[in-house]
Amino acid sequence: MTKSTRISRRTVLRGLGTAVALPWLEASLPRVALGAAAAKSPVRMAFLCVPNGKHMPDWTPDSEGTDFELKPTLQPVAKFKSQMLQLTGLALDGGRAHGDGPGDHARSCASFLTGAHPKKTDGSDIHNGVSVDQVAAEKLGGLTRFPSLELGIERGAQSGNCDSGYSCAYSANVAWRTPTSPVAKEIDPAAVFDRLFGQGDAGEQGLAKAKRDRYRKSVLDFVLEDANQLQRRLGASDQRKLDEYLYAVRDIERRISGVDKLTGVERGINYARPAGVPKKFEDHTKLLFDLMTLAFQTDSTRVISFMYANEGSNRNYPEIKVDDGHHDLSHHGKNDEKQAKISQINHYHITLLAHLLERLAEIQEGDRSLLDNCMILYGSGLSDGDRHNHDDLPIAVFGQGGGALKTGRHLVYPKDTPLTNFYRTMLEIGGAGVETFSDSTGLLEDVLA
Amino acid sequence: MTTSQALRRCHLFWIGWLALLVATSCGVRPVGAQPTRETRERTFQERAQPLLAKYCAECHAGDAAEGGLSLDKFSTARAIQVGRQTWLGVLAKVRVAAMPPDDADQPSVEERKFLIDWINDTINNIDCVSDAESGHVTLRRLNRTEYRHTIRDLIGLDYEPTKDFPADDIGYGFDNIGDVLSLPPILMEKYLQAAEEIVAQAIVTQGLGIPVVLDKSGAALDGAGSSYGEGARILASQGAAGAEFSVSSAGPYRIEVTACGQQAGSEPVKLGLRVDGKEVQVFSVKATDQAPEVLAFEFRATAGKHRIDIAFLNDYYNPGAAKPEDRDRNMIINHLEVRGPLDVKRDLPVTHQRIFFVQPNEKLSDQDAARQILERVASRAYRRPATKEEIERLLQLVKLARETGDNFEQSIQLAMQAILVSPHFLFRVEAIPAPGATSRPLNDYEIATRLSYFLWSSMPDDELFRHAFRGTLRKDQQLAQQIQRMLRDPKANALVDSFASQWLQLRRFDELTPSTRHFPGFNQQLGQDMRRETELFFADIMQQDRPITELLVADYSFMNERLARHYGISNVKGEQFQRVSLAGSPRSGLLTHGSILTVTSNPTRTSPVKRGRWILENLLGEPPPPPPPNVPELVEEGAALTGTLREQMEQHRANPNCAVCHETMDALGFALENFDAVGAWRLFDGKHPIDAAGQLPDGKQFNGSAELAAYLRSNMQDQFVRCLVEKMLTYALGRGLEFYDQCAVDIIVKHLKANDLRFSALILGIVQSDPFQNQGAKRSNE
Repeated sequence: MTKSTRISRRTVLRGLGTAVALPWLEASLPRVALGAAAAKSPVRMAFLCVPNGKHMPDWTPDSEGTDFELKPTLQPVAKFKSQMLQLTGLALDGGRAHGDGPGDHARSCASFLTGAHPKKTDGSDIHNGVSVDQVAAEKLGGLTRFPSLELGIERGAQSGNCDSGYSCAYSANVAWRTPTSPVAKEIDPAAVFDRLFGQGDAGEQGLAKAKRDRYRKSVLDFVLEDANQLQRRLGASDQRKLDEYLYAVRDIERRISGVDKLTGVERGINYARPAGVPKKFEDHTKLLFDLMTLAFQTDSTRVISFMYANEGSNRNYPEIKVDDGHHDLSHHGKNDEKQAKISQINHYHITLLAHLLERLAEIQEGDRSLLDNCMILYGSGLSDGDRHNHDDLPIAVFGQGGGALKTGRHLVYPKDTPLTNFYRTMLEIGGAGVETFSDSTGLLEDVLA
Repeated sequence: MTTSQALRRCHLFWIGWLALLVATSCGVRPVGAQPTRETRERTFQERAQPLLAKYCAECHAGDAAEGGLSLDKFSTARAIQVGRQTWLGVLAKVRVAAMPPDDADQPSVEERKFLIDWINDTINNIDCVSDAESGHVTLRRLNRTEYRHTIRDLIGLDYEPTKDFPADDIGYGFDNIGDVLSLPPILMEKYLQAAEEIVAQAIVTQGLGIPVVLDKSGAALDGAGSSYGEGARILASQGAAGAEFSVSSAGPYRIEVTACGQQAGSEPVKLGLRVDGKEVQVFSVKATDQAPEVLAFEFRATAGKHRIDIAFLNDYYNPGAAKPEDRDRNMIINHLEVRGPLDVKRDLPVTHQRIFFVQPNEKLSDQDAARQILERVASRAYRRPATKEEIERLLQLVKLARETGDNFEQSIQLAMQAILVSPHFLFRVEAIPAPGATSRPLNDYEIATRLSYFLWSSMPDDELFRHAFRGTLRKDQQLAQQIQRMLRDPKANALVDSFASQWLQLRRFDELTPSTRHFPGFNQQLGQDMRRETELFFADIMQQDRPITELLVADYSFMNERLARHYGISNVKGEQFQRVSLAGSPRSGLLTHGSILTVTSNPTRTSPVKRGRWILENLLGEPPPPPPPNVPELVEEGAALTGTLREQMEQHRANPNCAVCHETMDALGFALENFDAVGAWRLFDGKHPIDAAGQLPDGKQFNGSAELAAYLRSNMQDQFVRCLVEKMLTYALGRGLEFYDQCAVDIIVKHLKANDLRFSALILGIVQSDPFQNQGAKRSNE
């Protein structure tokens, strides 16, 4: 591949004037990526989480099977109906109180991808389960530069205990690498871009990069020895902190040493580096969705989680004329006006999802689209934000998992069927199958083609 | 039991909770005569547990326990002590006979009395001798603020990108809690990148330093030999290679030759260094191809042209030698560099000068200079003397960089990168107690570190280090003097930015978006002003060492013209904040700050409930329990509930399930109703006149914010003081408080009262407290 066939980043930047609105530039895509995709397209998974449940009457279709009509909330993705599976009746038992009292928001978020019942604590000894994305990341991580990406719109909460005695870690993270280690999310599109594609103009190459990698490696070796010595001197209770440190250092080492075989893909991307965090929610979300698409397309990772907001978010959406906070509204007390506003927010989130699906669908990988090779799970760990119930969850999945899913259907399951059964099925399809996962009782075979 | 019964019970659970909480939460008092742990456990098993099983377990046990409260989880008296918060609620219910419910079996009068006394004794009577514990503070990672401040004080750089680090998780209301601060790989990546950027900004490696007047790879020299490997030159027989250069000013110059040899025969390679044709020194080069060495020589040069030559003096060739490696000796020149003049003071940045307080010269080898430099940097970065072994390992990195062809400054950069990502820098490491010991007193370095992160959110300064080094930090009045000094330092603003802004929830301000449709006067600029007012106010109390109760009732505040106009106060001009008397205005103390009033409102209207809750949680230390599920929310207009907000809420409170907590919360919140959702004064809400009267369940009445503040000061002062002590102790320790910390809290409160409640007494009381001065072992039952 010669350089002249690609559009330089500078050209792109000049053409845009701003780095916020990003066009999709098929011409600038590396052939390496396309070639790799044609050989054998991997299945990718994304988990998209929205807070505060849904206005369910505007979400759940009236009929089952292939012959169903989309309710208003999902109208913005109507054109992807044939690539969608809507699942009704699934539950997260871990989100329920089980004697721990209030705190459904925190629990719904903590259990969303783990199925676990988080330990009620506002600080020390947080304990949850391992999340499905991290199970997949562990199994598939060796194949890509990043085992997984964790993205979101809001950083962790800025003050206060987040929900009824639950640590903010539970409401701000859906990805959990271990029961005690939530995986922080990146919210800055520029930083995501830098992680994926290196910094500066085309990134430093060749000798300079080799030298930096060698230095980094020696620095990491140095601090690993520090940490190992320290570990012998500390009590058992501080080990957890140091374990996180050791894991993080080894993770970076792995990436430095494994990067060579994948730099072709890394170098091939010409894409405007985003200018930071856009002020508008909509721009911010779309930008991160663009980067998700890029990450999947270049096979930089196969597993991504994304949070529209932290759970219990009280963001208001003046851009769609909803001035009240989302969480306040979700306690609607059956008030029609509030429910209508909730529905409006739900609908708005889906319009942004449509952006992601369109991006994914535009990219061809062999005889399928990238979307076909994905499983984009969209949903919430709460059903009705007023009732705080953890069953009858709003769950939809887009893309066919490389042909494994039979989409275009609305499936209704018996009450309290574990959502984790679907997660296990996803892992199976993604090549990351496990014998057991959380409270899963089996696979959902009827989703398969 | 029917569902409705179950629901009723669940709701009933909260009745009486709050009133009793108010009555009992100050009840934690260390007392003299105590049942021992053993007798307490025995009484639990023999008497208390059977009663709980008999009267409570029918509903409050197992996974499906009523109200989410399963008492059978508590299998020891100790567990009840640890779960004090829960049992305060239980005590409240049992005391007013709200539990067991009417339709269930009732305990006899004696049984009830026994249970009340036993629970009260178990959770409230803490024996500060036998229950004494210092508590364990988990290894604390520097949070974003601390990292940025520490880099500022260690290097002299304001490293702004820390704001892009992932947000630090919050525990117990603060973002400096060791247990909660995790270190995900993405943050480690940022640390690594930050370290590279910081040393690159701090250290000048080219140009600005001592000018390089000649910089050539071995291969680029002229003369004998031929090119070898990547850019080097090999001399296989006697001869010399060199280069010409010219200097514009006379003075001392430094020559650095990087060289090595293919060794053979009885002696190492001999290298002759010639300046302008004259041999000035002969070096024995023992280094091999694997690890070239750097040879340095300083000389005085006149302005004009000069030439340096490097000669190979002792060629050796013995093809008949038995071992192949004994047959041929050759010299390899990797690099030649000349820098100078050395005596001219350069305009180097302070960050650079601070690190390079010594320079290699004739008397000080590169290695020794690097050692001195790194010893100083590492000891400050690790906040204790760096060990010999640590320095030796850092010098290995220096060596690696030099061998790669980096200059001295670059090699220090590499070692400093390692320091900045070392766990000894990123974590505040404290030694743990010896096996078997319950705690150990911290050493002076550890105390200096706790102190400086408490007050400055940063590393200790030179004066603290000096006292730590001499072991004088805790001698005489030193701690008190240091605290006075530190509070006067501008760095103490960290206590405002980190402690006050989290305690008062000012940080939430950034997430707030009051509806500009409802409050057209509000904009981001005004929002910033509000936050600033509260920060300046807190800082003033701190710097002027005023009584902490002034936070509630001060008759002054700080504002600029824009904010004053928002408040309806005239005669304040300009953008600058200034101290403004509140005499004659309805405002006084924190509660009437726009910041607090806005943070506790909804985007479109005030929320007396949120305001009341905020007061209970943050000023009185009594967070009300969250509402039970399925409680209808307030309807804004129309629909079932009508009238003013107050009337709506009174209807709401007609439901006894709600009344329990809301009687208190609403009363407190209504007193502030004259302030709208963005803190502006008002007499009407829509067309309804404001009624700011409130009555607490105990009959206490007040009307409006001034009477509320007066009520808080006269009736709730102890509670407020205790609440602030607990919040600040949590922040200072970086861990949540446990039941045994009540002993320390008592002592701090006493100290405060004996010192007119002065702010500095609060700080000193905390710093001198047992949990601050000691590191405990982790409790076995956790």
